[in-house]
Amino acid sequence: MSLEKYEAVIGLEVHAQLMTASKMFCCCPNRYGSLPNTNICPVCTGQPGSLPVINKKAMELGVRAAIALSCEVHPESIFARKNYFYPDLPKGYQISQYERPYSTHGHIVVQLKTGEEKRIGITRIHFEEDAGKSNHESYGTLVNLNRAGVPLIEIVSEPDMRNAHEAGQYLRALHSILRYADICDGNMEEGNFRCDANISVRLRGADKFGTRVELKNINSFKFVEKAIEYEIQRQVFAVESGEKIIQQTRSWNSAKNITEVMREKEEAHDYRYFPEPDLPKLVFSLAWLDQIKKEMPELPQETSIRFKKSFELSDYDASVLTGSKELANYFESVVSHSKNGKASANWVMNELLGRLNAANKEVESSPVTAIQLADLICKIDSGEISGKIAKTVFEEMFATSKDASSIIKEKGFIQISDPIALESAICKVIENNPSQFAEYKAGKVKLLGFFVGQAMKETQGQANPALLNELVKKILDR
Amino acid sequence: MEFGTQTIWDLLSGYQKKQFKPSEVISGYLKNISERDEKLNSFLQVRPEETLAKARALDAKLDAAQNLPLFGIPVAIKDNFLVQGWQATAGSKVLSGYVSPYTATSVQRLEEMGAIIIGKVNCDEFAMGSSNENSAFGPVRNPWDLERVPGGSSGGSSAAVAAGLATVSLGTDTGGSIRQPASLCGLVGLKPSYGRVSRYGIVAYASSLDQVGPFSRTVWDSARVLEVMAGFDNKDATSSKHPVPRYTEELKSNTKRSFTLGVSRAWLEGVDLDVAKSFEAALEVFKQMGGKIVDIDLPHTKYALSTYYLIAPSEASSNLARYDGVHYGYRTQSAKSSEELYSRSRGEGIGREVKLRIMLGTYALSAGYYDAFYLKANQIRRKIQEDFEKAFTQCDFVVTPTSPSTAFKLGEKTDDPLKMYLSDIFTLPVNLAGLPGLSVSCGLDSKKLPIGFQLIGKPFGERELFIAAHQYEQIRGEFPLSSMAKGKG
Amino acid sequence: MLSREEVLKIAKLARLTLTEEEIGFYQRQLTRVLDHIQDLNQVPTSKEGFVQHVPSDAQCFREDRVEPFLNHDGLINNAPVVENNCFLLPTLVEHS
Repeated sequence: MSLEKYEAVIGLEVHAQLMTASKMFCCCPNRYGSLPNTNICPVCTGQPGSLPVINKKAMELGVRAAIALSCEVHPESIFARKNYFYPDLPKGYQISQYERPYSTHGHIVVQLKTGEEKRIGITRIHFEEDAGKSNHESYGTLVNLNRAGVPLIEIVSEPDMRNAHEAGQYLRALHSILRYADICDGNMEEGNFRCDANISVRLRGADKFGTRVELKNINSFKFVEKAIEYEIQRQVFAVESGEKIIQQTRSWNSAKNITEVMREKEEAHDYRYFPEPDLPKLVFSLAWLDQIKKEMPELPQETSIRFKKSFELSDYDASVLTGSKELANYFESVVSHSKNGKASANWVMNELLGRLNAANKEVESSPVTAIQLADLICKIDSGEISGKIAKTVFEEMFATSKDASSIIKEKGFIQISDPIALESAICKVIENNPSQFAEYKAGKVKLLGFFVGQAMKETQGQANPALLNELVKKILDR
Repeated sequence: MEFGTQTIWDLLSGYQKKQFKPSEVISGYLKNISERDEKLNSFLQVRPEETLAKARALDAKLDAAQNLPLFGIPVAIKDNFLVQGWQATAGSKVLSGYVSPYTATSVQRLEEMGAIIIGKVNCDEFAMGSSNENSAFGPVRNPWDLERVPGGSSGGSSAAVAAGLATVSLGTDTGGSIRQPASLCGLVGLKPSYGRVSRYGIVAYASSLDQVGPFSRTVWDSARVLEVMAGFDNKDATSSKHPVPRYTEELKSNTKRSFTLGVSRAWLEGVDLDVAKSFEAALEVFKQMGGKIVDIDLPHTKYALSTYYLIAPSEASSNLARYDGVHYGYRTQSAKSSEELYSRSRGEGIGREVKLRIMLGTYALSAGYYDAFYLKANQIRRKIQEDFEKAFTQCDFVVTPTSPSTAFKLGEKTDDPLKMYLSDIFTLPVNLAGLPGLSVSCGLDSKKLPIGFQLIGKPFGERELFIAAHQYEQIRGEFPLSSMAKGKG
Repeated sequence: MLSREEVLKIAKLARLTLTEEEIGFYQRQLTRVLDHIQDLNQVPTSKEGFVQHVPSDAQCFREDRVEPFLNHDGLINNAPVVENNCFLLPTLVEHS
């Protein structure tokens, strides 16, 4: 199969839940995990006579998202009803936006692994309310409306992505921006950040799109690229073997690592959209838009630029450290205490992230706090311990959450910078290795390293490395 | 003492003079209901014990009666309003057994000001109809002639007041559902400006047209009910912040004002002879009061019927999607799939005319038809609105008969939907334009059936409507009571 | 006149089961109303001028405050069937 002959065309639709206190159109709490049907009222259960009233904060967060994604914000837009029947849609329609969404024409720039940047267009962002949740049991479908009416924005990308990696990077960037700007908590497990992908394949260079397949339920970063990759290959294989791609909706089965048919596109849905008559036009005053702009939190790209400047970090380091808001905050906190940007960056990226990954933990739940890590870095910089010892200390800190000082004390890790103590250790090494000493004296100066290593061993690694180096040379040459 | 024919004004002055207590008044009205309503079928629910208990609680506060503008006033509520603890069927089988979990803002405001709910009254299913023959709970009869309809959709609301079973009542008006039955039953009926009264808690028919309004015997009573329930509601995003005048204060003045009334002659074609005569007589009264009658042109009102029957059913098809048997209301017993559960619950629970309008609206909104139907209708709706705006540069009110005919016989117009729809040709454009419309009785036809005319005001011009109608009423004199209200039913 | 199929298609979209008698009835009634509505085509209109029915002084927004609704039972008790405080749709033999 010659994948190279083909290219994929991918567009993503992301639903992000807005971090408001109350729901989109009623005063019920916007809260996950309560008992079934306790965060409900006449409005979100679609009782007769109930009416929606727009949550101002939801609008503000939506506008913030539009600004963060370089979108145009329309001072006037319209809510519309999308009519369809479903058990967890109590009104028989969803309040959404259709012909006139509040925001269009944006883009984000993503970093690719090739080192290039790619600009991905954003077609539109619109507001909509979430549906409830249906749980299918053997005896029937249980409908819980706690989630019904929770505020969402739907972010629709242009079909600008050409492979799974680009889609993954787009999604990561979007996720990070929404979290940075306190728009969405990004929790994918709870369904607060959901992604559907539209995928088609075509011969490279063709200008017509192939038949597209909608891929649903890819609600984890782990699966996004895998699922899209699989789907592209499946489609290429189908085309190569002369099959027709059928327009359908598929979902990712993470147990089998395949995509499966969810439903065939029967007759096209007829949602009978029309302007929501229970709501006025959605009007944003220019003054309010300006205020939201002024109060925008710093976005990842801005943070990245600031990091590079202030701490002399490389592009790569800065992009890793701004991968999530929590990580950036952690790093900033380390630097502000350690006053050593480069070392802080190295420690956070190499030691901390590595261990967190291995332990499958997020930076928010790191066993080592930013201040603890900063303290450790200070101890290296002041010469109290060596960098090598520090790694051992850090390992212990990560395991026990104890402070560096108490570990150093317990384990007697204080760095030996006393020349007399070091000299005696060096002399002992020379005594124990007379032949090497003779060779050194005969001109094999390469052996210097050997003596430094042995002396370090003799001090259980606690010797101040710079001082030790200096002393070994001095004593050998004496 | 006999109760039933009193106005709010009468009851309030009686309370102040301590001539009677709320519990006596309420008992009197409950007695009327139990004696007379069997013939009318206007009440769908009464709760005598709860209602009397409320009245007795007010008895103790008789000294402070003047502090509450609706102290001890028995009000009948159309069954498409939600009142916590009461049923709300909207005249439909699909909502039979539904108990309201909350209270409509309009009703809550009346209750807070001392009104007592005497019962929930019958209506056309989901407020769709002009004769009250579309109720799942049987038709309502007109207290002036039991062979005839009381009008619709708020037929129970009009019949109850006209028969002396409630002092005033609330209805909803989407295309004439307050004004037409008020006219057919000899009452005052007001459809306020869109946004004047909160729609929160009324079962939606067509959201952009629905308004809440009162039925009463007098203009003063209408003004009193409106001043209590009108005004901004933070639960209804379409309610206006326009200040609410104390309408009844405005009616105290003795200085007579004269008004210019606009009449569109083209619009009046096809009106029954008796109605036309009575209407002309009413115009004469306004002239006597120093008023002027001017000819106006409303070229697009002739399209109001078609416009309305695209917009209202479209909104209704969506508003009524919630009645699917999942979360509340009627559920079929014979479904074999969840799709069937929806379709059968709806097919079995929803009545004939409502299904017709749901299908009409579904069609008008469906792919490929939206522009030609829904969008087009809304563009013409704007033209109808502009016609009125233009007319109001020449006159204070537009005036029409309320209905082209007086009360017709049951079954007379049920075969042809258009025949029925034409009952509302004078009222429909007012909803489309969002204007206030007030129907006031102006005479009886040769069969001794009431005739009404309609004053159409500028947006939020209810104050002027009341002043003009009140002046008219004083010259007209007291309007006759239905035979049933006189206790001779 | 609207065809039988057209009526059935609309009824399906609206989720309304119709009896045989009703299908014919609505063919005639829908046709009657739709024929009448044709008069709108005589009126020239432009894309603009869509009506705005909401009063211009209506308030667009509410503040983001939680006010819990206390009568949950009133909402749940109206449900045809409840299980574990959820609205229950029984499992039905699907034929589609």
